[in-house]
Amino acid sequence: MYKFTFLLFLLIHSASLYAQEYYVYVTAESDDEVSIIKFDGEKALEFKKIPVGVWPAENEGPHGITVDPNGKFWYLSLAHGNPYGTLYKYSTETNKVVGKTKLGLFPASMQISKFTGLLYCVNFNLHGDMKPSSVSVVDPESMIEIKQITTGSMPHGSRLSANGLFHYSVAMMSDELFEIDAVSLKVNRILKLSNNSSMGDKMDHSMMNHSNVKPTWVIPHPTNNKIYIAANGSNEIIEVDKDSWSILNRFSTGNGPYNVEISPNGKLLVVTYKSDGTTAIWDIESKKELKVIKNTRKVSHGVAISSDSKFAFISVEGIGGEPGTVDVIDLKKFTKVSSVNIGKQAGGIAFWKISN
Amino acid sequence: MKLIKSIILILITTFSFDLYSQETKRIVSNIQDLVLDVDDNFISSSIIMDENDNELACNNMIYYSRNREALQVNNETGEITAILPGFHEVVVICIQEGGKRLRSNFTVNVNYPPVNEIKISLNNDILYTQSYIPLSYEVIDEKGFVRTDVKFNLSSSNNLISIDNLNNVKALKAGKVTLNASFEGISSSIILEIEKNPITYIELESNTDEARTGDVFNFKAIAYDKKGDLISNAPFDFSFTGKSYDKSNTASGLMQDDGRFVGDVAGQYKVTSSVGNVSASKIVDVIDRNIKRKFKNIGTGTVNDKHTSDFWVFEGVDGRDYAVSGTWGADGTSYFWDVTDPSNISKIDSLQVDARTVNDVKVSEDGKICVISREGASNRKNGMIIIDVSNPYDVKIISEYTKNLTGGVHNIFIYENHVYALSNGEKYYVINIEDPYNPIEIGKFELGKPGQSIHDVWIEDGIAYSSNWRDGVYLVDVGNGIAGGSPSNPVAFANYDYASGAHHATFPFKSKSTGKFYTVLGDEIFPNGIDVAGQNVTAGFLHFVDFSDLDNPVEVARYELPGDGSHNYWIEDDVLYVAMYTGGIRVVDISGDLLGDLYKQGREIGYILPGNKDGYIPNSTMSWGAQLYKGHVFYSDWNSGIGSGKLEPIKPENSKANIN
Repeated sequence: MYKFTFLLFLLIHSASLYAQEYYVYVTAESDDEVSIIKFDGEKALEFKKIPVGVWPAENEGPHGITVDPNGKFWYLSLAHGNPYGTLYKYSTETNKVVGKTKLGLFPASMQISKFTGLLYCVNFNLHGDMKPSSVSVVDPESMIEIKQITTGSMPHGSRLSANGLFHYSVAMMSDELFEIDAVSLKVNRILKLSNNSSMGDKMDHSMMNHSNVKPTWVIPHPTNNKIYIAANGSNEIIEVDKDSWSILNRFSTGNGPYNVEISPNGKLLVVTYKSDGTTAIWDIESKKELKVIKNTRKVSHGVAISSDSKFAFISVEGIGGEPGTVDVIDLKKFTKVSSVNIGKQAGGIAFWKISN
Repeated sequence: MKLIKSIILILITTFSFDLYSQETKRIVSNIQDLVLDVDDNFISSSIIMDENDNELACNNMIYYSRNREALQVNNETGEITAILPGFHEVVVICIQEGGKRLRSNFTVNVNYPPVNEIKISLNNDILYTQSYIPLSYEVIDEKGFVRTDVKFNLSSSNNLISIDNLNNVKALKAGKVTLNASFEGISSSIILEIEKNPITYIELESNTDEARTGDVFNFKAIAYDKKGDLISNAPFDFSFTGKSYDKSNTASGLMQDDGRFVGDVAGQYKVTSSVGNVSASKIVDVIDRNIKRKFKNIGTGTVNDKHTSDFWVFEGVDGRDYAVSGTWGADGTSYFWDVTDPSNISKIDSLQVDARTVNDVKVSEDGKICVISREGASNRKNGMIIIDVSNPYDVKIISEYTKNLTGGVHNIFIYENHVYALSNGEKYYVINIEDPYNPIEIGKFELGKPGQSIHDVWIEDGIAYSSNWRDGVYLVDVGNGIAGGSPSNPVAFANYDYASGAHHATFPFKSKSTGKFYTVLGDEIFPNGIDVAGQNVTAGFLHFVDFSDLDNPVEVARYELPGDGSHNYWIEDDVLYVAMYTGGIRVVDISGDLLGDLYKQGREIGYILPGNKDGYIPNSTMSWGAQLYKGHVFYSDWNSGIGSGKLEPIKPENSKANIN
């Protein structure tokens, strides 16, 4: 009887394990497409391809993507416009557009605050003049841009603290970390990343010059007071203490760290090394790089980690006519377990859900 | 069991209460029913009330305006500043502990400022009895806004004029009358002096009694009094009626105030000129334009594994004829073709660069240098590639140029050793390529306004024509001398824009037959968005703008193909060759005066629908551009590659060759 019960338990347990499916949204920036990737624990496949944009003869460049906290809608920034980019809201049920609004120049990465419910999207202004750009704040319910908050030159990476009260972005060409109060919609603090000096709440762009740190991403730790920044130009991960608003550590990395995410359990840091075409896994507690994994092709881009902290999904751009690729990395074995090709220049990537 | 029941009961009660409390909490704000005047400031105050009207704390309140240009709202304090009159919405969001959110929308009525002035002006000083009086009105309020929503009252000091329900004023009797316009206590007046219509007879002449569809009649009216003396400056009205020769067709045309008339459809048209109750009419015949010619596709250069973009046909240094074409959303390839025999187009070389789209390709006047644009480069530097095409069978990259062009180059132009390259869809740079190995940026042109955008630039006679979407076309002196400009100092000297804001390409055109100077401005519109794998719906048309007076350009005509939108085009010898996307390649007679709807006028000479079964998207026309070259119409097609067509010669009416 015990044997039977044990076998039954195993059967049910293993069945539920194998039945788990992971879903990820990822953009193909040079094909004006978004793909939904389904991963069953072993194999990833392109579950659905969604054409985006409205100009067949122009490349509109879907760049940033996020799924709202309740999983009902996904949001996409189309970087190119005339000249301003556009934020689109799609239903995850139908993958049809349900709203849109104009943002700034080259809107890129974004996230929705669990607290305010508002969406914060950086206007990267990637190819514009070296001058301060902004973070657009959008009410996703009305799809109205509430405010553009001026930050630094080429702001990128747009992530909120776990409680949703603070927004973080980095200015790639002015080497700054910005903290925005998600409720007052004001810049709270600025931290200069090149020389360890805090600028307090003053914004002095006279110091703006060509950066050598070139920060491209920022992620606050989900449970502690640390912030991690990908320093694309200086090949570092910069660890910042939120409380003292100072740089704690600079960890040397591979070439061109670009995007960085932390597993929801707070243990691992997953970093794409864009110039190397690799992805690294770091142990946050020991501050050690545990493994560097070769991506399927060149130009590693974004990272999304499953809510159970088991898998990392890496978007890899490719070059020229190559397809983009999503590599799936097992965060226990530290190995690439599956890859799937999508449209050209895979870029923004967002985890959607696990379903049984 | 009792315990379980109790737990369930508690759960239900708690859940119900939570639901109830959520539904009944509300935001109460002094914004409710708020009425402001323009420039007023208002301090908002909002609280949360529960179902028992108990005030609850809300530590996190966010305010915003749904129209920031009309109503400014401080997100944190809710302070409101009224900018523009009208009804505007303020959204108030209260974020409670745990991120629960309550929201309410409040409408703020910003009063229109009181009307300050009603201006009345007379468009013609000569007022004759039994004529409608040409009046204009402008209502201005105290803040200087021009109001178009005001229904003011008109009244007259006597019965010399009549005023209908639409405020049209008609002169009935001769004499002096004061016309009053009033609204909410503000009034103004104008004195009208009406003369008895001295005209007893109108003579109506036209430059011809018969013309083809699309040809412009010039009517001239002459007025005489009862003595037979000429009345000068008579205020003529022109109108027309017509009957089509084809009983199932509708006669249509366009009549201008200056007496110009064009008929779209063959038929008999009666043009009338009148002053008051005196009129004269003249009947003219409009016959078929009859210019259709056979237009045959004679050669194709198929690209079947990717979309094709722009192309350019040129004479090589060896005297043979070649073409280069780009590709779209692919792998950065451009193709080189021998088109010396247009019926036997052969691919002779290709070049792949780090890009996804090579949108535009151009070749220097001497056939030695080709420049291709880049978008989607993996290092995001994009820019352009300069290529030696002295031997098109073996093209070689000379240099890569990316400075200030990292945002992608969508269109380029080569003119007299300079490349004009678009940057990030915002501006264009001028790059000297006298030494193609070391291109040097020497100038740039931008509108310098927020939201500036540009799609294309085309140079002719030292004038750059930039197509700036909603800002229309800018004529820029880059060496012509008309405005003292040069490649290093581009100087804008004329501009024209139009309402749709879809201006994407420009071709300058001096009419051989009339000497008039036009810019032909093309739209690009995809009303239903995109389907990269199938047929697309396209819209938009070509706007013909008479730029003979640079300070007063006038849009006079359009070429609009029903159901198909415009893209790139070429004009030579008063003939338009236009790629109408899904409508294929169209050849259009644009000789003579241009007025009205050129398509309706039967000016189309012929068309072909590119596409073949081996195309990237088989049998699907999506024509990109057209170029007349040595008597052949070359084209590129998004779905199939490049090709050539040939118009058959006009055959004489009595030719036996016409008998099929």
